[in-house]
Amino acid sequence: MEFPDDVRYTREHEWVRVEGGGRARVGITDYAQDALGDVVYVQLPDTGTNAVANSSVCEVESTKSVSEVYAPLTGTVVEVNDALAQTPELVNQDPYGDGWLFVLELADAGEVDRLLDATAYRSFVDEQ
Amino acid sequence: MTRTWRLVDDVGRDLTAAEQMAADVVLLDDVARGAEPALRLYTWRQPTLTLGRFQPRDDVDENACAHLGVDVVARPTGGRALLHGADVTYAVAMPRPEGRAGTVAELYERLAAVLVAALADLGVDAAVAHGEGRAGAACFAAAQGADLRVRGRKLCGSAQLQRDGCVLQHGSLRCEPLPVTEADVLRFPDDRARAAVRERLAASTVTLAELGAPHDVATVASALTSAFARTLDVTWRSSVGVEGIAKSRAVVVHG
Repeated sequence: MEFPDDVRYTREHEWVRVEGGGRARVGITDYAQDALGDVVYVQLPDTGTNAVANSSVCEVESTKSVSEVYAPLTGTVVEVNDALAQTPELVNQDPYGDGWLFVLELADAGEVDRLLDATAYRSFVDEQ
Repeated sequence: MTRTWRLVDDVGRDLTAAEQMAADVVLLDDVARGAEPALRLYTWRQPTLTLGRFQPRDDVDENACAHLGVDVVARPTGGRALLHGADVTYAVAMPRPEGRAGTVAELYERLAAVLVAALADLGVDAAVAHGEGRAGAACFAAAQGADLRVRGRKLCGSAQLQRDGCVLQHGSLRCEPLPVTEADVLRFPDDRARAAVRERLAASTVTLAELGAPHDVATVASALTSAFARTLDVTWRSSVGVEGIAKSRAVVVHG
């Protein structure tokens, strides 16, 4: 199970990688992709969507199960991973890399500080 | 510890396909708002093709459905097309267990154990069929998740929706053959492809009637109720119907 240090985490098993310009890339964690099983479809949000922290923003289908993905932070969706339309399995194969879901333009970059770091998230997962 | 679940007996109730799906979603929403977990059992008033949440409507041969009197509705859950009409459908809504017990695979396994127990009561020795890769347009043509097979032929398929910390799983236990199959109401590139799916469905699926097992809906529903209570250690608070079902809450078909 991977817990990269360069991202922050939520208890809903999303990761956030802060990028320049008040933007943050979002995906689901290695734990989450393993819990879902083989991802066969990702319903991504439209760019321009106003995402609210802890609210559902997109859905993932795996082994006949549809699961919601929650926005880890509040902001506007400015980019989505179009590659997932043809290769949703990237979410399983490279959850912290090519399997990213969308990019948020953050409403409040300070919200990131409320997320878990790798050590705290690893402890959270170990308790599961 | 014995827990109380709500038992919603909608077997034989005259609901449209959209109302059936809306009722299952209401079941989930109720649990998400703090209501007790629930089991709902129901049958279909006419042959109905249910589509997976993200399955394109283009998969459906609308003319064939109209000609054959088959209704079409999208499920809130994943998976592919499934033809109902001579089956008992179950829907379970409950909080998602914490940790690994709440993973998709573990949830399927947990409820598969219930279904296996129900089938054992009907004299059927069923086993869990694990994933076999991606399904085509017809759900029963492949075994995924924790579908149940008897001697290699699929008898019960299930699908899930997880949201708001809760899970809805519903599935179909086939009682007897229908005069039409998914091969008759889905679109195919040509007749050869349609014939291939028809052949595959015939070879890879089975019904309780074909197994010589009790298959009237009351007996099957009773076996399911008993197995859920016994296997999950629950007692029932009965209710008829799901309150607040409205057609406006029906799931919209994507694609």
